[in-house]
Amino acid sequence: MDNSICQVYEEIQSLEEEIKLLAEKYEDNQHESTFFSDEEIVMSIKSFQREFQGESKGRESPSDLKAELESLEADLSFLMKFTGIQFTSHSKKTVEKTRNRTVQKHRLSGNCHSLSFQLEFQLLEMQNKESVSAVITDLSIIMESGEDSDMSKFVSSTEERGNLLTFFRSLSSYAEWYEHRRCTFLHFKEDEPTVDA
Amino acid sequence: MEEGKAYSPDGVFAHLEMLEARAHEAAVKQEETEQQEEKLARLKARAQELRFQRDELRAKVELQEKGQLGKGGVVSDPAQPSARAVLEWKIKSVEATLQVFYLTGISGKLTKRGVCFCISTAYEGTYLDSYCLDLLIKPEVQIHRHSVPVFIPLEQIAKKYLQTDIRRFLSVLSDHLNAYAGRRYQADQLQEHFSDQIEGTLQRNSLCNLLVFSYNVSSKSKTFPFKVRLLYGDLCCSLPTEVVVSCAPDAPVSLAETAAAHSDLFRRVALHKAFRSFSSADESVDGAP
Repeated sequence: MDNSICQVYEEIQSLEEEIKLLAEKYEDNQHESTFFSDEEIVMSIKSFQREFQGESKGRESPSDLKAELESLEADLSFLMKFTGIQFTSHSKKTVEKTRNRTVQKHRLSGNCHSLSFQLEFQLLEMQNKESVSAVITDLSIIMESGEDSDMSKFVSSTEERGNLLTFFRSLSSYAEWYEHRRCTFLHFKEDEPTVDA
Repeated sequence: MEEGKAYSPDGVFAHLEMLEARAHEAAVKQEETEQQEEKLARLKARAQELRFQRDELRAKVELQEKGQLGKGGVVSDPAQPSARAVLEWKIKSVEATLQVFYLTGISGKLTKRGVCFCISTAYEGTYLDSYCLDLLIKPEVQIHRHSVPVFIPLEQIAKKYLQTDIRRFLSVLSDHLNAYAGRRYQADQLQEHFSDQIEGTLQRNSLCNLLVFSYNVSSKSKTFPFKVRLLYGDLCCSLPTEVVVSCAPDAPVSLAETAAAHSDLFRRVALHKAFRSFSSADESVDGAP
């Protein structure tokens, strides 16, 4: 009797876990295949505030959600201004999700000062005993100013090693130097029409 | 039952008591068994419910994925999404983009009195520990709290840059932290993957800029111990500035060349990658006829 009870307990546990993962997968898929424009967001905030009547059991009010969104957008805009790295678009797709492993494919484009970039990479996150480890694989980088031979050498060695962190750290300093050089160059080409960045 | 005893008053009572006791025991056991059976039935019903839920979800997810494969574009919910759902979507998206900043090396969050920055470290594609600094901006920029290890010269760097150029301060600090994380990663990788070649323990300091250990080098099917001392003089670099590789005084002369070659290799190549090249070199040597 005890044995069969134990078995059923185990089955229940594994089913609950499976359900949790499937629900998360459903949410991820839903989120990753949806897109709302900024206008739609603004309209939703307005209509949400209109239709909200009184207290809703335990769920956040429109002003709570609006405040949360504003705080997150403030953080994002601060970071972009501070680091000089502006992301113009970001999309991700969850490719694999198990109890200990999540693999996501990311597409990211943006610019750092006048240098534009497009990235694609896979991010593997694994749950260890105490922490989560993150590893980048399949990194692909496209730089707009690809004619620079130093830049292409840097980009290909970065891609090979999945060195995303170094890419961004170097991008900031390189972009500043590049911008400075470009301005200096333009300064000396006074008789030529100014080039729009 | 003995006929003689059955008719004496004591005998009858004793017998009745025994029967009562037996009946009581049996009743208790019966109740227990019934309870267990009830429990099992309840649990089985629950499992059945969950199985049904799970199958429903599976079908839902499959439908989602088929839909995506078919259209290849944006899948719209058949039901018009509520305003709340749209907002929650946007919040989730902004959160995801903020998480990407973590991958760039500097991320952060605005606080009431300043900013809390987070410096992430990585070795090539593997992200390692991250370190946070809670900065206050008034009356002047100061570090309120931080999780930077004590052996990183934080005060020195702060003194030089914090007031004048926060970006530079974070950049220099990031150089130190990333170099430290890189050195530690190499030593950890060495211990994890090449422990069979290491003799004894790998000695290192907390800053991981001084490593001393012995390792085995095989030559003509004999193994010789090499002793190596690596000093990383540049704290912003994860390659050593000084390398001393020595072999035992009674070792063959050819080994001195090997020691010199290794010394040069350790100066140019990450520690664990250098050892990886030894293994593959050994394999090709052993494989040769």
